[in-house]
Amino acid sequence: MALKLNPMTFQSRKYPSFSLPSMASLRSPKFVAASVLSSGPKEVENVKKPFSPPREVHVQVTHSMPPQKIELFKNLEDWAEQNILVHLKPVEKCWQPQDFLPDPASEGFHDQVKELRERAKELPDDYLVVLVGDMITEEALPTYQTMLNTLDGVRDETGASLTSWAVWTRAWTAEENRHGDLLNKYLYLCGRVDMKQIEKTIQYLIGSGMDPRTENSPYLGFIYTSFQERATFISHGNTARHAKEHGDIKLAQICGTIASDEKRHETAYTKIVEKLFEIDPDGTVLELADMMKKKISMPAHLMYDGRDDNLFEHFSAVAQRLGVYTAKDYADILEFLVGRWKVEELTGLSGEGRKAQDYVCGLPPRIRRLEERSQSRVKQSRAMPFSWIFDREVKL
Amino acid sequence: MASFSATSSLSFFSVRANNPQVSGRNSCLKVVSMVSARNSFTSLRTARFHVSCSARPETVEQVCEVVRKQLVLPAERPLLPNTKFSELGADSLDTVEIVMGLEEKFDIEVAEESAENITTVQEAADLIEKLILKKGA
Repeated sequence: MALKLNPMTFQSRKYPSFSLPSMASLRSPKFVAASVLSSGPKEVENVKKPFSPPREVHVQVTHSMPPQKIELFKNLEDWAEQNILVHLKPVEKCWQPQDFLPDPASEGFHDQVKELRERAKELPDDYLVVLVGDMITEEALPTYQTMLNTLDGVRDETGASLTSWAVWTRAWTAEENRHGDLLNKYLYLCGRVDMKQIEKTIQYLIGSGMDPRTENSPYLGFIYTSFQERATFISHGNTARHAKEHGDIKLAQICGTIASDEKRHETAYTKIVEKLFEIDPDGTVLELADMMKKKISMPAHLMYDGRDDNLFEHFSAVAQRLGVYTAKDYADILEFLVGRWKVEELTGLSGEGRKAQDYVCGLPPRIRRLEERSQSRVKQSRAMPFSWIFDREVKL
Repeated sequence: MASFSATSSLSFFSVRANNPQVSGRNSCLKVVSMVSARNSFTSLRTARFHVSCSARPETVEQVCEVVRKQLVLPAERPLLPNTKFSELGADSLDTVEIVMGLEEKFDIEVAEESAENITTVQEAADLIEKLILKKGA
């Protein structure tokens, strides 16, 4: 950990908003290199490259886990087979997107589509924006499988490795893949959204990738995924509830089913970290503090639609306002994990470990306090057009 | 004692020159009084930085209190007006909480854009006085 660079990024007051825990995104450099297509001389002016998606601004650190710890994960493969793989569902028992969509092979297909569109008519634009943002996040799945395969000791070395870790990663990816597929088809059929803009956003996002600052460490990696799975569970649970309130029961079932997958995944990932706390409490608590200091960045924080340079910020503002995923949720998740992993009761820690323990245990109330203050301030309400809904405006 | 920029020596000097109070309690003031004892008025005129927006020492002292509390700085650790909070071990959450603490202490509201520019005790104190003035106006 002493090797790590931790640039002090100065956060704006919007820190408590879950969106900003991500590092500020950086626009492309000011100087435009000669494009491949142009034959003219190099332009060296202060011209912003058009259609430039955001990039990570932090220094990207790699392999911060000491190599001797890789052994640990090799030794855990049997344990993982018995304790983690059990949280996967056999494919034959799994739901598929078709279970929730109009059946193209049936006579009633056109009527079913009509009903879907009737129900979707009642969905307000701000809800749709959040649903679309969630769908785009799910559709960036290649980035997440990649991220899991950056982790030392647990990566899928061949793409078909038979280690428990690799089996988990592929099966997890396969389960997640249904989420994006289902939401994509639903949104396509509902007719309320600009699919091309959404598809563009997905292409940009997968192209951008993300660096959650897990530094190839499975400690950091699984802490990150534990947090994220719980976050998506909460988020999809909320979109399910909202869909029900707006009278779209089918959509509520869709979001609820996705949420239950996320819950199962959360159980698996938190179990891994629980095991790490058991085997290496000092190392794990240090990594937990490190991850929280760097903040859990949202997977889609680099999202871009070719028009809005602050798309993620705007999307998450709406998600915050609707209560789908808020800074309070961020604090709640952390508090839950601290409890789940019994961080407060850890003993035998080093001096640094105790500092990390104090930091982590003290963090949720600090975040809550910040968020309360932020909420109590007078806010100017602002409306923003979203290209995902044909530039219709939504209040942030 | 670490050397500090011309700005800090000037901003304190303008107030301190006539009232060289030596305060042992707060290390901020300790620094200030040393400056005034050593410099003369001529250095003011040759200085490159303007003095117009600088804060009163009482304000600076109160800011120091908030910063010390937030960062749990040991009493012996000197706190210079131009030291960056980050150099004192503050992360971004600390900085936000420092600004919040200052809002409470001075009963002001700091806009987000202004908060982003607060990286030292001096900057905080200057902004606070500006806001208090605006409030009174």
